[in-house]
Amino acid sequence: MKPASFPRQLLLNVAAWAVVLAVIFPLVWMVVTSVKPQAELFRIPPSFLPDAITFEHYWRLLAETPFLTYFRNSLVLAVSTTVLVIVVATLGAYSLVRFSYPGRETLAQLVLFTYLLPSVVLIIPLYLMMVSVGLANTIASLVVAYTTFALPYALWLLRSFMAGIPEDLESAALVDGASRIGAFWDVIFPQALPGIISTALFTFILAWNEYLYALVLVNSDQARPLTTGVMNMLITSFNIEWSLLMAASVMMSLPLIVIFTFLQGYLTSGFGAGGVKG
Amino acid sequence: MTALAAIDPAPATRLTLSARYGLLGALLIAPTVLIFSAVIVYPLISAIYLSLFSIFTLTLEGSWVGLDNYATLLQGPTFWNALGNTLIWTIGTLTLQIVFGVAVALLLNNNIWFRSLARSLVLFPYFISTVVAVLVWRWLFNDLYGILNHLLVRSGLVDMPVNWLGEMPNAMASIIFVGTWKYFPFVVIAVLARLQTIPPQLYEAARVDGANAWARFWDVTLPQLKGVLIVIILLRTIWDFKEFDLIYLLTGGGPLNHTQTLPLVVYQQAFGLNQMGMAAAYSVMMMLVMLVFMSAYLYRTRRARSAGA
Repeated sequence: MKPASFPRQLLLNVAAWAVVLAVIFPLVWMVVTSVKPQAELFRIPPSFLPDAITFEHYWRLLAETPFLTYFRNSLVLAVSTTVLVIVVATLGAYSLVRFSYPGRETLAQLVLFTYLLPSVVLIIPLYLMMVSVGLANTIASLVVAYTTFALPYALWLLRSFMAGIPEDLESAALVDGASRIGAFWDVIFPQALPGIISTALFTFILAWNEYLYALVLVNSDQARPLTTGVMNMLITSFNIEWSLLMAASVMMSLPLIVIFTFLQGYLTSGFGAGGVKG
Repeated sequence: MTALAAIDPAPATRLTLSARYGLLGALLIAPTVLIFSAVIVYPLISAIYLSLFSIFTLTLEGSWVGLDNYATLLQGPTFWNALGNTLIWTIGTLTLQIVFGVAVALLLNNNIWFRSLARSLVLFPYFISTVVAVLVWRWLFNDLYGILNHLLVRSGLVDMPVNWLGEMPNAMASIIFVGTWKYFPFVVIAVLARLQTIPPQLYEAARVDGANAWARFWDVTLPQLKGVLIVIILLRTIWDFKEFDLIYLLTGGGPLNHTQTLPLVVYQQAFGLNQMGMAAAYSVMMMLVMLVFMSAYLYRTRRARSAGA
């Protein structure tokens, strides 16, 4: 294609960046609000850049609210879910892609079906189940509940990643005398690793952001994750402290910001493999 | 005898290689099957079974009512109101997501400055928690100190601060708008990936034929995007249809149930009105409606897989 003329190029840039800035403005505003002094918050007209930057809201969040407990709960919850789901799904996806046995195709269809299933359908029986086995109000109950959406998702994603690994590589290892499990460790696993990392990141984000199961299954501050915990701070407070809530929102997004900054390539490759390509 | 049996190879090793592989494959999938049965298949069947009972959530005591729950919900206004709201929300937000998503993808497909930074930034709303998105938007929508009302009043577009979430039709428009903001990046990424694989020769040929930018979009870009757009529309229809967090946290279904969608009704029946059996019936009805889109998606992927293999 011909390189566009300069005025045209300039126009495109201005248009594209105006859209991008408009899209992320709410998030910029979140950060700005979280560092504004309380007095400046309710000034009319509002100041776009704070006169003074303060971290008092962050300190209050950490010192005076159960935020750190919620944060720790979310971390335990998301990491446990991710480890459990990735181990089970890696083996399962390998089996679905490279082995043949009766019922395999039906199973693959079932995985896709459950991937689309709404949580509200499962939540009532799951709630009854957790109450009857005495897991209600624990982080463990949430790990179990999160597998209902994370496992089908991870299986589907890993299945498409593994289907992309050439079969010849594995055959060659088998001809050289490797066992099936040996071939998996030496050939499939290293090849699938980027896909596994990508799937793990998505699973972590899904678990970190989940709200509905946490709302229904956990009702104590000891086990409450960030999503319901921070929302509770909004609902139970007598007068809403927006700067505190915005500070909580920023802190809650920290893992995502880390993933975005350092591991973004994995996220985009997961997009291609999951769902859209089928 | 025992010595002979020891020399005889174990029965498993006498199986053919392919049978042994089949066994190994079954072993590897076994944890998945177990978990699926326990947390998905059993609850799914259980939900259908529960919908035939009348159960009080707090005591969990129930009695068999057969199909009464379904008869009640089909005759009452709640189901139809929620179905209507769900359709308005889904169609509204999906349309905006697609239009805005394709437009932004086309814009970002150009050679702009800091292109990869622009792409990452646009992706952000999709990955942040719905709780964060809702908190931020409720602050932006705030009637007294919200920046949105301030800007609108100062620019003279409105005389009075707008009540974004507390009255109709604003509440429905607001959730549709926030839904679009949160989910359009999915469309952007999927469409961008496809745009990059369109052969430039197609555009050259169209240019030679004298097609202007508009005509090139309709005659080259859109037909090339058709496949990916169908998949995106099916997936997003399913996901938007079952959306709970965003609507529940922004409006809670209000004002006066005007934004109450089917997932919210299920939650309200089960944990607000303590009617667990009724809630199960609503959830089964909701799934029946969704089955249409789900089957379409399943059918399409199966066809794509057999064609692509």
